[in-house]
Amino acid sequence: MKKTKIILMYLFLFIMAAIFAMPMLFTLLSSVKTKTEIFSEPFALPKIIQWKNYVEAWTGANMSRYFINSLIQAGATVIILVMVASMAAYVLSRFSFRANQFLVIFFMLGMMVPMHTVIVPISYIIGNLKLTNNILALILVYVAFGLPFSILVITNFMRSINRSLEEAALIDGATYFQIYYKIMLPLTVPAISTVSIFNFLGAWNNILFPLLFINDKSLKPIALGLLNFNGERGSEYGPLMAAIMITVAVPMLLYLLFQEKVESGLAAGSVKE
Amino acid sequence: MHMIKLKNNNARFFVFLFMLPSLLIYLLFQILPLAGALYFSVMDWNGIAGSPVTFVGGKNFLEVFQNKDFLIALKNMGTMVIFSVLFHTPIALLTAVVINTKCKGYRMFKALFFVPTVFPLSAAGLMWYFVFMPTGAFNSLLSTVGLGGFVTPWLVNQSTAMNTIVFVNIWAGIGYYMVIILAGLTTIPEEVHEAAAIDGAGIVKKFFWLTVPMLKSTLTMCIVMDIIGSVKVFDLVFAMTGGGPNGLTNLPTTLLYNETFKYKHMGLGSAIGVVILAICLAGTLISNAVVKHKSD
Repeated sequence: MKKTKIILMYLFLFIMAAIFAMPMLFTLLSSVKTKTEIFSEPFALPKIIQWKNYVEAWTGANMSRYFINSLIQAGATVIILVMVASMAAYVLSRFSFRANQFLVIFFMLGMMVPMHTVIVPISYIIGNLKLTNNILALILVYVAFGLPFSILVITNFMRSINRSLEEAALIDGATYFQIYYKIMLPLTVPAISTVSIFNFLGAWNNILFPLLFINDKSLKPIALGLLNFNGERGSEYGPLMAAIMITVAVPMLLYLLFQEKVESGLAAGSVKE
Repeated sequence: MHMIKLKNNNARFFVFLFMLPSLLIYLLFQILPLAGALYFSVMDWNGIAGSPVTFVGGKNFLEVFQNKDFLIALKNMGTMVIFSVLFHTPIALLTAVVINTKCKGYRMFKALFFVPTVFPLSAAGLMWYFVFMPTGAFNSLLSTVGLGGFVTPWLVNQSTAMNTIVFVNIWAGIGYYMVIILAGLTTIPEEVHEAAAIDGAGIVKKFFWLTVPMLKSTLTMCIVMDIIGSVKVFDLVFAMTGGGPNGLTNLPTTLLYNETFKYKHMGLGSAIGVVILAICLAGTLISNAVVKHKSD
């Protein structure tokens, strides 16, 4: 490649990088600075690293509680979702019965439903079932909204798995449950990990459903707890910035650890939109 | 390679048992609410459990389209969709092509552009909220480089607030489309590029005559997804302005939330929800047509 082209290419990359890094860098730096430092020189390094911002956010502003809530909510969503979706996917990919085709399409229907469309009825249902402030209800709603994509991905994957192993197991007298548990699940791990990452991030990042039916502060997830913190103590900039860093830490870590998987998982989610 | 037939009760019971949990959860928390959205959109209800729900027909929809706030929200949605489409896919395409050259440091750049995609939008919105604060980093940056004349409270000023949110939405989405386009780029066979190089095609020519046409279906998909995605933006507005100043940055989604939870206009809210559903359905139908076209 010619030199000018390479220079142009890097010029483009660096301009983009500056715009992309700016808010993240500002937040990271500010999270260890005093209020005066944040405003006088937003992009300068702190004189003394203010770790106490993180302490204040973690304990004083209860980010630790929100953090654990999100871990529980997103974690439980993934576990339940993987269980029920893989069970359905095993049936849909292996058993022939009249409703099979219908069920596949029926589950796909859910992909077209925007969460916002159901704000009123879902609040009504949750309210009438007396499930307000019930974490399990929140988790089941996440599971319901994750099902279409998860069933689609896992069913397609299971369909592509060679059946000779199962057929041999059937002849040997294995039950369907044993085949599902001992043969299908281990072979489906790639699809399951895609589904897990996609839905973990979805639950971690969601604020709409907890807004609708989690009023109890001690049950709120971190993405919403962060906004609460800002609403109540909006002028404590240092600790607020630390709280933002804590909120994005888990998704960021997930991405750094499983880069390829997260990228392909989210891109696969493009089917969902 | 054949499917297992349900010839005995044992198999029938197994299928029933294994479908039951997902079907129950799906029916209760997805299908029932969907039906409920349609139901409530023709009803009047104040949102208090136990109070009467009365049938009002199309009144909510009439009210929605006469509601000044909704028309503002719809206009904002239009701005959001148009500018997202104008910037997301083209910038993502350019970035993907540059990163696909595997130049030095390309992994780092790719990670930097993609990472906002995994952030909660409430956190991303808050980051930018502090950057765009009246005394925030952006204004201080402007003053430093001698552009002090442009300093303004970006999210409070009525003429800049919406555009600022649109900008943040663009920032938050580029990485996502970049990754999808990168996946599309890897499907272009190397020989095609070599053939073009032998024919003496330059980088710009190759981009417009080779890359873009070969990615046509991927790019169309991105644009359709972007349209649907922009219609559904909620968290960013909620985190950055809450719909203010004076409801000027509301989108249909945030207006729906405000109408239902601040003013308890459940019927009106549901009607807005159905309008959002209709817009997304139209988008999905187009996207299906595109995918079908792609596989033909």
